[in-house]
Amino acid sequence: MFQRLQTKLTVLYAGLFALALSLVAVTVYVAIAKNAQRAVREEMAASGTVFDRVWTLRNQRLHDGAELLSRDFGFRAAVATHDRPTVESAIANLRQRLGLDLAFTVGVDGEVVGLDPARLDLEKLWSALDAEDDAQGVFAIDGKPYQLISAPILSPTLTGWIVFAAKLDEPEMQGLEKLSAIGLDAQVFDQRGEQWVSADTGPVNKPLAAFVAKAMHDKLRAPALLRGGADSLVLVKPIRTLDKSSGAALVLRYPVAQAMAPYQPLMAAVLAVGLIGAALVAAASWALSRGLAKPITALDVAASRLRDGEDVSVEVTTQDEIGRLAQSFNQMASEIREREARMIHQASHDNETGLPNRVAIEAVIAQRLAAAKPGERVVIDAIGLDRFPAVRAAIGYDHATALLPEIARRIKAVAPAAIVGRLTTSILCVVSDLTAIEEVQVRVEGAATALREPVRVGGELVDVHMTQGLAHAGQGEMDASRLIERALIALDQGREAHRKIMVFDPVAYGDPSANLSLMSEMLQGVRDGALFLNHQPKLDLRTGAITGVEALVRWNHPTRGFLRPDLFVGMAEETGHIRALTDYVLGQAIKDQAELRAAGHDVLMSVNISGRLIDDHAFAEHAIAQVAASGARLCFEITETAVIGNPDVALSVLERLAEAGIPVSIDDYGSGLSSLAYLKQIRADELKIDKAFVMTLEAGGKDALLVKSTVDLAHSLGMKVTAEGVETREGLAVLQLMGCDLAQGYHIARPMGLDKLVEFLGGWSIELPGPKETRQDETRRSA
Amino acid sequence: MATLWAAPAMAGDFTVTVRGADGKPVPDAVVMVYPNGQPTKGPIKFPWPYRVAQQNIQFNPFMLVVPVGADVSFPNLDKVRHHVYSFSAGNKFEIKLYGHEENRTAKMNTAGVAAIGCNIHDQMVGFIRVVDTQYAGKTDANGVVTIQDVPAGAIKASVWHPYMRAMKNEKTLSTTSVGAGAAREQVAVELRAPAGH
Repeated sequence: MFQRLQTKLTVLYAGLFALALSLVAVTVYVAIAKNAQRAVREEMAASGTVFDRVWTLRNQRLHDGAELLSRDFGFRAAVATHDRPTVESAIANLRQRLGLDLAFTVGVDGEVVGLDPARLDLEKLWSALDAEDDAQGVFAIDGKPYQLISAPILSPTLTGWIVFAAKLDEPEMQGLEKLSAIGLDAQVFDQRGEQWVSADTGPVNKPLAAFVAKAMHDKLRAPALLRGGADSLVLVKPIRTLDKSSGAALVLRYPVAQAMAPYQPLMAAVLAVGLIGAALVAAASWALSRGLAKPITALDVAASRLRDGEDVSVEVTTQDEIGRLAQSFNQMASEIREREARMIHQASHDNETGLPNRVAIEAVIAQRLAAAKPGERVVIDAIGLDRFPAVRAAIGYDHATALLPEIARRIKAVAPAAIVGRLTTSILCVVSDLTAIEEVQVRVEGAATALREPVRVGGELVDVHMTQGLAHAGQGEMDASRLIERALIALDQGREAHRKIMVFDPVAYGDPSANLSLMSEMLQGVRDGALFLNHQPKLDLRTGAITGVEALVRWNHPTRGFLRPDLFVGMAEETGHIRALTDYVLGQAIKDQAELRAAGHDVLMSVNISGRLIDDHAFAEHAIAQVAASGARLCFEITETAVIGNPDVALSVLERLAEAGIPVSIDDYGSGLSSLAYLKQIRADELKIDKAFVMTLEAGGKDALLVKSTVDLAHSLGMKVTAEGVETREGLAVLQLMGCDLAQGYHIARPMGLDKLVEFLGGWSIELPGPKETRQDETRRSA
Repeated sequence: MATLWAAPAMAGDFTVTVRGADGKPVPDAVVMVYPNGQPTKGPIKFPWPYRVAQQNIQFNPFMLVVPVGADVSFPNLDKVRHHVYSFSAGNKFEIKLYGHEENRTAKMNTAGVAAIGCNIHDQMVGFIRVVDTQYAGKTDANGVVTIQDVPAGAIKASVWHPYMRAMKNEKTLSTTSVGAGAAREQVAVELRAPAGH
């Protein structure tokens, strides 16, 4: 309800005081009200008594007057002798003398003198007068209550009555009101059937009339409270009526408010004192609770700041519970800070090396990316220790791990502002302070030598080899993890390409997410002709003729353009689509060869068979059947390493191909882990030397020796030798001299489409160093 | 006494007993008998004196029956003075203050009632019944009156008392004829308290 302790305490104290005060005030009020009411009741009772007395006295006085007149001899004589004028004058005289409202005589014979008999109910009046000597009481004249006093006229027997009547209206009652010590309101009510009607001429007071009726009915003779409008105390006193069949009452009324009026100053004083007291208590408890709540408020504020990660402590001012609480809080806060710092360090640093971990590096990159200005690049460098498992096995885990901080230290020496962290067991990541990839490249290349210095670990020098993958991004291009991923890909690309430093090449890598749909698109491409074969001619170095071509699959992607074969072939191998691709290539090769034949060119057509398929008997049988059915002349090119995975099956498949008369060629010889053992077992017809050796052939040196010895080795194993990557005339000449059988490369021809090939074959001529070339060429052309 | 008069051949006494509603005897009730319903022709004479004395501030007797035209004397036996009056129609008179041993008379001119009072002493009330028949009398303390020598034949008889609750304070008796022998009637009347006393 209340957000603040201080407010709560203040409201509580002030509220309690106000409550207590209210109780006192109510008690005082009730007591005063009771007292006042009692006083008024007593006064009313007293007034009632006074009224009785006054009433009696007045009646007596009137009666005396009446009696006096009734006994007057002359008057009696006048009445007895029906001397009407005399009687009237005598009555008028007395009326004036006594100040009467009305005076008249009623004869025993019913004759009324001194008043118009129509103004009253004569029969009732006569009966009442006759029933009792000196009858008196309230009686209605003109519908208004009058107090009637009668006296018999005896002459000497009863001849009639003298009657005096006094109005019971407001002026009359005011006289009575003046007799009271308090300002009573007096009025006379008389009964008209069930209704009680006031003699006053003012507006009809219905609740009061009802109250009077009830009080008369219940014979209530004590003052009672009449609620409604302004409460008032009412005393109803029955008055004797002349005619016993109806009633009349004197009603004394006193407003309660008036009774309370003398106490108003007292009540106001109580209220004022109470309000001042309440204000003082509120102020005092505000001040008190402020002192009480202040340290708690300080703790509250400190706690929320602590929650928000701020460094806080609370000032300890007292030795009480709150003081101890503040001390505990401070201790707790400092422990939390320490723990938090430890946790943050642990979360962002690598335990083994103390270097920032991947999380921290990502955070730094994210921060740099967000802060990068247009044109600025965030450049990172993933430095991978090559052959780390081997190194680790050689020098032990601890020593191998110790290499990383040392390298990090060297990087820091070159680029103090760069951030160096550890991404994986063997990979460091540098977030460069430079903002252009070119600058970073220059720096990385410049520092490469220094980084590769042997490291002294455990007293021994250890050689370190490393590959670096660089990636860069501008603001908004990608997130930190993507950039790291790119650097790692660049690292992998570099290792694959045997390059020490590699910048991420988005074109080469493609978009991995786009590759997901690549396979289904490839199958679609097979159907609609987006995939096709290019053919690279192979030159027979002995005859100078083109005796074969290597069929190479190409894909003109509808949206991405020409895709590198190693991208989609690799994907097909990884995703199990290589069989479909290979089936297509085989089928297309058979068709293309048929077309070449139709054009008059009979060439051996080589197709590449993936290592994934070489141990697949089903594929082999299918391929053999297809080749046999079409009568095509195909050569299957496989890599030597393809056999290594499952040598028994692979070798039997190759055996089967040989039996079926399909020649097999060992591709890319020398690029992988060439094994003489397997070379011996594989029944191949041809060996293709990897272009890495051939391209540098003319420079002489070791490569030339390797090629020469490989040619000799192949020949001795009964295989022909094809050199790939022949790009110069000199190379071609060297190969011819070495006894190489066939050559393939840009110097002879680039891979080309079938139409181009037909054209190419039609116009082919080459001048070989050897003597037979022209003839061979002539022969080929005539065929 | 009746023998003094040339009385009819046949006559008898008529005795009336008057009792109140409570059964007590009513004194001072006047019984009037009219033979054949006719007033008496000729002078009427009653054997009692036509006198109302004032004694002990009271009229004595309270009730006096006199014939029309009788002179009633009002001797004052008290030591105080009295002022006797009657406002009764036909028999109005006033005897102003007179003292002890003084005697005054007033003539009763009309058959009917003369209610007499004293202007000085309101408690003094008396009645004179002025009758026009020979056959009248008032009940004694036992409520009994005997009208003597009422001629036999049809009569009209009534009883009167000033406080009787009846028209003109008078009630007709049920006896309508008398024979030679004595006739009797007992009548019950209702009286009321005298007003003003």
